[in-house]
Amino acid sequence: MAMDKETRRALMVKGLERYRKERDFFKFLSDTLALMPDEEMQLSKEVTDITVDRYDTIIRCAEEDKPFVAGYFNAAPEVYTAMDLPWYLIMQTPFLAASAPYLMEDVDAAEAMGLGTDWCTACRLSLYYIEAGLSPPPTCMIGLLHPCDAATMLHQAVVRNEKWRGIPMFCTDPPYFEDQRGIDYFANELKKMVAFIEENTGRKLDLDRLREVVKESNKQYELWAEYAQLRRAVPCPQGWGMGGPQCFAVSQIFQVGQPRGTDWFRRLVSITEKKVKEGRGVIPKEKIRYFWFDLLPFGWCFELMPWLEQEWGAVMVMEMFGFTPYTPVDTRNEDTIFKGLAKRNLYESPMVRQARGIADYFASDIARVVKDYKVDCVIWPGHMGHKDGSASTGIMREICNELKVPYLHIGLDLFDRRYTTPEECKDKLSKFFGAMGLG
Amino acid sequence: MATKIKSRALQEFQEATQCLVNPALQKWKDQGGRVIGCYCSYVPVEVITAAGFVPFRMRGTGSTGTDLADTCVSSINCSFVRHSLDLGLRGEYSFLDGVLWVNSCDHVRRIYDHWKRKIDTSYLRLLALPKKNEQAQIDWYRDEIRFLRESMGPHFGVWISDDRLWDAIKLHNQTRRLQRQLYELKKRKNPPITGAETLAVMVAGTAMPPEYYNGLLKELVDELSQSKDGHADHRARIMLIGGILDDPAYIEVIESQGALVVTDSLCFGTRNMWGEVDEKAGDPFTALAQYYLYDRPQCARIFGDQPRRSAFIKEMIRQFDVDGVIAERLVMCDNWTGEQFMTGEDLKEAGIPYIRLDRDYVNIGAGQLRTRVQAFLEMMGR
Repeated sequence: MAMDKETRRALMVKGLERYRKERDFFKFLSDTLALMPDEEMQLSKEVTDITVDRYDTIIRCAEEDKPFVAGYFNAAPEVYTAMDLPWYLIMQTPFLAASAPYLMEDVDAAEAMGLGTDWCTACRLSLYYIEAGLSPPPTCMIGLLHPCDAATMLHQAVVRNEKWRGIPMFCTDPPYFEDQRGIDYFANELKKMVAFIEENTGRKLDLDRLREVVKESNKQYELWAEYAQLRRAVPCPQGWGMGGPQCFAVSQIFQVGQPRGTDWFRRLVSITEKKVKEGRGVIPKEKIRYFWFDLLPFGWCFELMPWLEQEWGAVMVMEMFGFTPYTPVDTRNEDTIFKGLAKRNLYESPMVRQARGIADYFASDIARVVKDYKVDCVIWPGHMGHKDGSASTGIMREICNELKVPYLHIGLDLFDRRYTTPEECKDKLSKFFGAMGLG
Repeated sequence: MATKIKSRALQEFQEATQCLVNPALQKWKDQGGRVIGCYCSYVPVEVITAAGFVPFRMRGTGSTGTDLADTCVSSINCSFVRHSLDLGLRGEYSFLDGVLWVNSCDHVRRIYDHWKRKIDTSYLRLLALPKKNEQAQIDWYRDEIRFLRESMGPHFGVWISDDRLWDAIKLHNQTRRLQRQLYELKKRKNPPITGAETLAVMVAGTAMPPEYYNGLLKELVDELSQSKDGHADHRARIMLIGGILDDPAYIEVIESQGALVVTDSLCFGTRNMWGEVDEKAGDPFTALAQYYLYDRPQCARIFGDQPRRSAFIKEMIRQFDVDGVIAERLVMCDNWTGEQFMTGEDLKEAGIPYIRLDRDYVNIGAGQLRTRVQAFLEMMGR
């Protein structure tokens, strides 16, 4: 049964309270960055600016009763852009605003709901936000059944949730293996997703507009690949503070297939190219080049990542979200576009690429990065929610052994610093670097 | 709590749960028979039977440690995966001629990746199981089952004809019918068989040649049907729900406190036999896909099916006159964390007593389990 207007209004009022707080948090960040004239800081400012813009757009839609959706970066966001539909992630707080001061209270509240402690914290938090009315109710929702079990269960729980029961949800079904049959099947799932969005928002997808958006997103991916190549330089021009997460946020969340995003990539390439030509690294003396094969510890990255650079001269030359295996989408016709998007979303987008299907990508991505980026060691942070990845740790260790590159599995929670504290992580990393004769 | 009748069949079933290769399976092997391991109840065992082989549900029975598996997976992976993989790495599964998986969960699907790298078994295959069960997914799984037949045939030098597949479907439907007859007896006020014994019967059904098992099970059902004895000394009638549970000793501890398990929603229990494959369908592949992915009660991992799963639990509660529900989960299992949460909310709305228990695959944790069950019964006023 569809949600009635009164219920929706009441949920929206509460949901927007937290949402506005997060918008203000990013606005503050943007204003602070504005005071820093450095070119890279201005690039970061542009990312926070477009983040604030997205928050503002969603708030405006909610206030004016215009359609907006909850969606995902790996559910063909090019479609949302082409339909002029603003969207947000229900995992927004853990992924984007994880350093917000209330995060630990939220984690505890999610546990008190009965969600246990071994379920992925990002999923627990997302369900808690819905249960507690802290997420604005979208017009309709695109859920996710990959890459992990927790995502599948989260979206089942959202559909069942008393408060959100009236919000229609569609989930694409992910095939397991990478082959043409899987691409055809998933392209068809994406077409069903479009029909679902059209039915629930009243917006129509114009194929020419989609082609235009996909062409623009192809440009973004091309520039991203160029940037990723520049990071191969020794010393590495940028570390953990600029790179994959920003490229991901621009191309797959906030500026999908939009010229402003493409301009951002051009500036990124230009600034980085200059640094490479000048032989300038992110730190004065680069001693260790590491591959961080997961997301950054968003909830507490400022307590760990700068320390790696300062204490050990360790530079993150690549991480999971910065790896660029993307192929351009063929825009000749509807069929090629949807199949191209299917491939991008199933087999190329970060985390989904490695975690959704068989474990081979864990090994092949490590091999690629180690060779291309002159990596001294591979760190698998082992987020507590990434069960499939942790179940692949032996495979990762073996490929590292073959490549003669040291491998470390930490075991932490990307969002909850209490699981393995930053100090414990530092201790593990120091012992590892020391034992391996690095740094 | 144990059944009062002396049954040869029940004893054989119980013995079969305590080892991997039971005497009936050993005899099959001695006669040159082949055995195929199955890592999930979604593997369509009918195809294996139609090939002339015995399907064997993978377990970790007899495992005492996970030293070898721990070099492959980590401590945040479930204990079933670590124990069964460890047995595989130690060669305890060398009696298998092949192993089949579906992408059941994030933990189990990785056993496939390690097995193909480290264990020398000549035939390995993973069927891509959808995560929804609409028509497009049933069609997809139909093709997966068809591809399985096409792949097994040349590898083993057998031809699995449609006729042989229909015969296998009929044979496994007979198993399901007999198992449901056993469960029917548990609807009695004083059921003639305990939950622990029932689990032994169900587990044995995944480890013996099906014709042989059906014969024994018929013998048991006949004996129990004629018996007037039953368990009158229980404090409450319990439904047990959860994922992989193949150790009757776990239920024995629950029942030792007077909580008689009269029905379940387990993948070794009702979810493996409630309903039957349609023997009148147009083709056997569609019939199998329809049964496995839609008609029978589904696993937690199937999106869009939760209302049906919840309705199934409530229907079981009604049919078996259940007083309370115990939900068990292996620690680290995401699928059952989410399912237990949703089921809890549904049962709260329906006013049905409900408790969630975490467990380890090998270590039952009898002391803690007893305490939790006692507290649950007391909370229920029993």
